[in-house]
This record gives sequence, C-alpha cells and structure tokens, in this order.
Amino acid sequence: MTVAPAPEPARQAAATDSVASVTGLKVHFESKAGRVHAVDGVDFEIRDGETLGLVGETGCGKTVTARSFLRLVPMPPGVHAGGAVYFRPHQPCAVCRGAGCAECNDTGRVPVACPSCHGTGCPACDHSGVETIDLTRIPEKQLREIRGDRIAMIFQDPAKALNPALTVRNQIAEVFQHHRTHEVLVRAGLGASPNPLLRRHVIQKSRLWERALLTLPPLRGQRNHIDRAIDEMVSAALAETQIPNPVKVMERYPHELSGGMKQRVMIAQALACNPDLLIADEPTTALDVTVQARIIELVKELQSRHKSAVLYISHDLSLVRRVCDRVAVMYAGRIVEIGATEEIFANPLHPYTRGLLAAIPSRSHQRGQLVAIKGTVPELIDPPPSCRFVQRCSYGVEVCGELDPELEAPLDRHAVACFIHNPPDVATELPSFSKVTS
Amino acid sequence: MAVGTAVRRPAAPLTEGLGTRVRRFGEIAREVLRNPTTLIGLILIVGMIAMAILAPILIEPNTPNPYQMPRDWGALNEPPGTAGHPLGTTQQGGDVLYGVIWGARTSLRLSLIVVSITVIIGLIVGSLAGFLGGKIDELLMRLVDVFLSIPELIFALAIAAVLGPSFGNIILALAAVFWVKYARIIRGQVIHIKQNEYVDAARVIGDSSLNIYMKDVLPNSITPVVVQATLDMGNVVLIGATLSFIGLAEAGLAEWGVLVSQGQAGISAGRWWASTFPGLMVFLWALAFNLVGDGLRDILDPRTESKR
Repeated sequence: MTVAPAPEPARQAAATDSVASVTGLKVHFESKAGRVHAVDGVDFEIRDGETLGLVGETGCGKTVTARSFLRLVPMPPGVHAGGAVYFRPHQPCAVCRGAGCAECNDTGRVPVACPSCHGTGCPACDHSGVETIDLTRIPEKQLREIRGDRIAMIFQDPAKALNPALTVRNQIAEVFQHHRTHEVLVRAGLGASPNPLLRRHVIQKSRLWERALLTLPPLRGQRNHIDRAIDEMVSAALAETQIPNPVKVMERYPHELSGGMKQRVMIAQALACNPDLLIADEPTTALDVTVQARIIELVKELQSRHKSAVLYISHDLSLVRRVCDRVAVMYAGRIVEIGATEEIFANPLHPYTRGLLAAIPSRSHQRGQLVAIKGTVPELIDPPPSCRFVQRCSYGVEVCGELDPELEAPLDRHAVACFIHNPPDVATELPSFSKVTS
Repeated sequence: MAVGTAVRRPAAPLTEGLGTRVRRFGEIAREVLRNPTTLIGLILIVGMIAMAILAPILIEPNTPNPYQMPRDWGALNEPPGTAGHPLGTTQQGGDVLYGVIWGARTSLRLSLIVVSITVIIGLIVGSLAGFLGGKIDELLMRLVDVFLSIPELIFALAIAAVLGPSFGNIILALAAVFWVKYARIIRGQVIHIKQNEYVDAARVIGDSSLNIYMKDVLPNSITPVVVQATLDMGNVVLIGATLSFIGLAEAGLAEWGVLVSQGQAGISAGRWWASTFPGLMVFLWALAFNLVGDGLRDILDPRTESKR
C-alpha cells in the first residue's frame, strides 16, 4: 500500500494521489411514504493503488454509493440530491511503461494532465493540474468511455451478472471491441489501414450487407485475423485469472460454468482494460467459503500486478480486515468512521464500529451466545438533523439527538463522526465511553 | 498485460460462436427426439408443410388460379374411391383431395403471414413499452388493453365483415387480433430481463442502450415468443377456418374451412366425406403445432432443466 501522505496541505495531497474522491454525495429515492435519504452526505477518497473497504449493514447505502460512481442508480426513482464524485483518470507511466518506478510512486501509472491548463493548474481542475471528471455530471457518452475502461465493476452474484445467451468469449470480447478497437486492429495486422468496414466489424456495428461483404475474400481473411486477435486477447485475459484451459472456457455459456469460474470470468472482464479503479460489490457473497478464499486471493494478486485501486464493498468485517488498506464504516447513509484498517480494528472510535466488532463471534465467546447491537436501522425517510445512531447508541446524550456530528479527524489517519471525540461548539453535557446512558 | 505468449491459438476463428450455437441446437434437437408427443407433432408438421410445398407436384394445379377449387360438373357428390377423385367430390363438383392438398398451402400461407406480421408488430410495441417504460409504456399498454377488451373472434369477424369477404381480409383481421398478445408477452419479458444484473454489467463495460437491448435483453426475452408463435401457427388456422366457414372467404377457395362449410349440408344425407377430410386436416394442423409448442415450452424453459 502507499504510505499515508505526510501532513502537507490536505487539499493538495488529496488531489495528486487520489484516483477518486466523493464529496458530499447525496442520493435520495422518491417513494410514496416520502424521500428516502439512502446516501446522505458521504465524503471519502480512494488513493492510487489502495484497497478501500466500505462496510456497513444491509440498506446503509454502500451499494448505492458504489453505483453512483458509474451512474447505475436508476433515476427516477433515484434523485441525485447533491455532491459530486470526482474521478482522475490515469495513463501508463511514461518512464517505466507500467512496471512501477520512483517517478510514478511504484503504481505504474500517472494522472492525466488537465486538458484546459495542461498541468499548470486552473479552476477546472481545482488548481491541481490533473484532469478531474465529475462522474455525476458528464454526458452519458463520455461516461460510456470511462465505464469498463478506466472504472470497472464486479457484481455480487456472477450467475446473474453474465448474459446467459452469450458465450464467455463474446462477453469479454465486448470490452476490447469498445475500448481497445485500435489495439485489436493493430494486433490483427491492420493498424495502418483501418478499412471502415473492418473497423465497424470490430465495434460490432456492421450492417447486414456489410456482414455479407465480410464473408467474401479478401475481407474474409482480414475479418478472421480480427476475430483471432480478439480470441487471443480474451484468452489472455482469462488466463490471467488462472482459469484452466481458457481457450476451451471461452466457447462456453455461463450456465456451463461453476460459480467460482463465473466470478473469474467477471474479474477477467473487469480487469481486461487495466482500470484505474475497480469497484467490487460484495464479490464473494454468493460463493461458498472455499471458493471465496481463492477469489479474494486472486483479486489481491491481480490488484498488486495491475496496481488498480479497489473499492471493496462488504459486510464481512473479517474479510475486509484481510483485504483492505483502509476501511470506511457506513451507517444509515453516512460514513461514521474512516481510517487505516489496523487503526479501525485496534482502536474503533465510533460506538457503531465498536458494536460491529464486538458482534464478530470469536473463541472467547461462549457457545450459543451472539452479541448484537440493540435496536434496528432507523427509517431513512426524511430523517431529523441528529446523529443517525442515537437511538441505538449506549452513550447517547441530549445533544446527540439535536445536532448532527460531522466526520472529523481527532487522530491522524482516522476520522469519526461522533461527539465523544469531536465535541460540538455548544456548552452542554457531552457523551463519553465511560458513561453508559441507556 | 502479457498477451499471446503462452496462449494456444484457437484452431479456427470462432466467429459468432458457431460451434457453440450448433451444439445448443443439437441439445434442443435431442430433447425433441426424446419427447414422443413433440416428435409426433413435429412429424405431422413436416408432413403437412411438405404437402403444402409440393402441392403443384402432388396434384395438377387449377388454371388460372390454383387456389380456386377445380369444378368437375360431371361428378357431383361422388363418394371417396371414385376414379379421378380418391376422396370424393363436393356438391359443386369440387375435388376433395385437391381441397385438402391446396388447402394446406393456403393454411401455411395464412399462418406464416399472420404470425410473422403479429410477431414483428408485437415485438416493436412490446419492446418500446417495456424497455423505455414510463409514459410510452402507459400509452401503448392502454392501446393494447383496448384491443384485448374485444373478444378476438368477434373482432376478427367485425373487421372481415366491414372490409368484405376475401382471404386477404381474413389475414388482416387475424393480424389485428393476434399482435396484442405478443406485445404483452414481450413487454413483460423485457421488464423482467432488464432488471437482471447482466444488463447493469453491460452498462458497466460501456455499452449503449440499443446495444444492450439487442444483445442482452432481446435474446433472453424471446423464448416465450417462440413458443407462442408456434402455438399460434395452429390457432391462426383454426380461427381462419372458422371465419371462412361462416363465409368470410371468397366462394370456391381451396381452403379447409370453406370445404367444411360446403360439405355440411350433405352430412345429414350421408355424404360425410366433403366435410370430414378437410375438418380432419384442420384438427391435425392445430394439434401438431400445439404438441410442438407445448414441447418447446418445456424444453426451452430453464426451470425444467433440472428434471433432465
């Protein structure tokens, strides 16, 4: 992992070595009962090459947050109520060509310079000189170019995330056809003379009569070269995920593969274009435990090779502890605590995080005893301006029900949204871990 | 990415996944052969379609219009087995065998035209409604409801009656009735399929909406349409025969319903053949397509897969 930035001006550090940052993101859903504040002011950043874990219980908004990166939240009923998701696309480092060197901080890639100021700093890039894209505002067409190329996603259930009507080859091929059109042509030996007919064959926009033309020589031979080039790229992508016999697997339909194999195919598809950011939405929840372990190892290994940043969404704390460099704990549409993994697990600051960690069964628990946080997640329909956790919190006092704690950092590398650590500016009774109130 | 170093080259270009497609087709074919009722239906269909296609070879076509029954005024109401008329003649001297064979051609034409028109219209309307949703969905589906609220036979009858008796109008009437069903089926399927995660996954790799529809939504929604279309190949002929039976086709058309209606007057007088043979054909046609349609439904339904 990259070492946490030295205490320089925070803003500058955030801009240069973070691949994406979420600021004040609010995603609401209109329902008959009122406005559901599913994501209500979320701030965090993902640094180059790190794995950030996003944990929380069902319905706390972690999936909606992740989906906002690629604008996959259906609107309506979803409403983008504020905030932004900034993304900084990267390109391979010119010095080491992706191998990792001192110039690129061993990540193999460097940020793309801002197109309006060419790196000198302007208001468009927040004076960082780095191209910064607000994923919530760019036009659909530009977003499509980023999806699958610079940002990729792995879904929870590989059985549902693969199209049952297409072979594995055709599903992975699509990524190359959309995002690596030129590379496919070069590989097929046709880079110098991109015949528009062949080009359209690659991006699968051939008309019916064009398809007929392509079956006749000499185009037929060139078309076969293209198809073979794609085959090679697909089988190489599959081979990277350690699928045995990728050439054979390529021709299979998803229903002919096991769950673990399907997830490997998904991973191959996601990493095919070497993305800057990989979003993994509970990638192992639908798999059984033995396969889980192998998939996690695979993701870790591929991440260290590709040096992509990973946003890892999970409700499994022990898993997150193994995989992630930093952890963000979400509760009821907010991030309540964020920090380095060791910090969070060794010294949890928020009462909710404490409750979560206490709920992990361990050898010291007696058989038959499971610890739980009392109460249930509050309704997120038009919530009052108070701490979201106050009804379930053992340390809550009056001020917790009246004011909304902000996410602030009492310690280096560790931020929390709780009045125990960040007292409000009003003179009142303060909550404390030493005082159990309910 | 280390591409192409340790990777064996595939033997042949795997364009369109031809090999896998053939394999899938082979699986379906094997299922059909293993299911006796489907097989019987399939044999009947092949036989009757062969009869329809080979009609000009099997029996001398009538001139100038082969779809009109030839009249043998010297042989009225002849029973089966008469020389030159193996299945007998009608009271107007029409050869029943000619009617049976060329009637198959008429039926094939009718069902193919009606089913293809209705499937296309239904696909377009249903897809627009299901994929786009919102106001378009609401508008199109209320239109469909209007069509659905009228009983299909009476609706077809009304159209044919207004436009006048002719075979073309029967096609039109049936098409106007049948497309509604497909629109509903495909809309439901599209709404169901587009919620699948692989549609999101396609969006994630940067696919456009049209591409997603053509690649991810349509191919996975089409199965019930295939089954319904097969069933309707039979139903269309059944209702078509009903309409021509009550006199909505041209008189003297070589069509099973017309023949049945010509022969019905003679049944009480013991001249059973003119109605029975074409009636039997209608029965077999509808039966065959229903058997195959039901078989396809079982074979193509992924939920029945575990039973095999």
